[in-house]
Amino acid sequence: MSKILIGRYIPGDSLIYKMDPRGKLLATIFFILIIFLANNWITYGILIIFSLAAVYATKLRPKVFWDGIKPLIWLIFFTSLLQLFFTSGGTTYWKWSIFTISSYGITNAIYIFIRFTLIILISTVMTLTTMPLEIANAMEWLLTPLKYLRVPVDKIALVMSIALRFVPTLFDETVKIMNAQRSRGADFNDGGLIKRAKAIAPLLVPLFIESLETAVELSTAMEARGYRGSEGRSRYRILRWSKYDLICLGYFVILVGLLLVFRTR
Amino acid sequence: MKGIEMKTKNLVHLELRDLILLGIIIAMKVILAQFSFGPAMVKVGLGFIGSVMLGYIFGPIWGSVGGGISDLVSSAIFGNQGGFFIGFTLTAMVGPLIYGLFFYNKEVKIWRIIAATILVTVIVNIGMNTLWLHLLYGVDFKVALIQRLPKETIIPWIQMVITYFVLQAISRVKMYK
Repeated sequence: MSKILIGRYIPGDSLIYKMDPRGKLLATIFFILIIFLANNWITYGILIIFSLAAVYATKLRPKVFWDGIKPLIWLIFFTSLLQLFFTSGGTTYWKWSIFTISSYGITNAIYIFIRFTLIILISTVMTLTTMPLEIANAMEWLLTPLKYLRVPVDKIALVMSIALRFVPTLFDETVKIMNAQRSRGADFNDGGLIKRAKAIAPLLVPLFIESLETAVELSTAMEARGYRGSEGRSRYRILRWSKYDLICLGYFVILVGLLLVFRTR
Repeated sequence: MKGIEMKTKNLVHLELRDLILLGIIIAMKVILAQFSFGPAMVKVGLGFIGSVMLGYIFGPIWGSVGGGISDLVSSAIFGNQGGFFIGFTLTAMVGPLIYGLFFYNKEVKIWRIIAATILVTVIVNIGMNTLWLHLLYGVDFKVALIQRLPKETIIPWIQMVITYFVLQAISRVKMYK
């Protein structure tokens, strides 16, 4: 099992960093929504320019974005290729049993390729410029309306922040347990299917027991410090809207306007 | 350690201790999802083990809530590979929901594992995720299916074997029962 990177946040101080995480999260979600408006070359061109501008505004090296796309590039490529071979319509250039290459297929494949890349690019902008804790806070804020549906949003927020907090700890713990088991002959990367499936148990059980103990200890500690449920508590970490969020919103208004004007009906 | 009780009557209400345990199990799922094993052709991600644990320990309701949170947390930490999209969060909720319906407060039986895994594969991996690919990227539904089917006909069987050993192992840890 290879090393994993905890958190993809890269410190910086460009404009996007100064935006409120809620603004960034909403912008990301909104971008994914308005990508549906694009349906011809001009509109896709506008979206590409807009996302490249967002990438540029982060002032980060292009390589970090490439690293975000790299693990998925074959999947994107393969999907586009399948789309190319299995879509018919327009002028047909080549045909062999169920495979066809048509003008409709070509444009469709390219559109899908662009869509994939843009969505990943914009999501990457979000995760690179915002700390995980801030993203989680923004998500919590976004869940608030669910309160009216009697969803225990406070509890969900608590669970979320505990999970967030324990990912690095538990990861270290996993590595430690694996090394301990390895030092007495466990092999996690060898043997047949059944053998490997069995090898997961000596990893999971100690981890699970560890988790149970942590849960008991942490709940005792929280109750000792006066935690009596999520309601009626104040907040230490407060998110604040900035003027950059307003500017971002302005860009989106222009973007949606342009898309609506140039899209084919 | 005794006294962490999770009976059926506690399906909706969770004690602080159990909420924290839920948070930690979610963290475990997020970490497991980063690992995969097997040859390059059919990489089996381990995230489903987290879903199985969520369903088995917390039942369908809190299990699916946990699944949803795990998606949010992993997108916050690792970035959501497919982009931020509510569909994938829903997908992450349905897996533990199904596992919860089959495993929660029940004896580990082979037919339950087979049925749950097949249901999850069909509804979640083949059905919903293909639908999201179709909606989000405009990929033809048929094309998305062709791309997924080969993998999804092999992996469930591997998952069943792992699920069996995991449930055997976890059920031996009786502390929370």
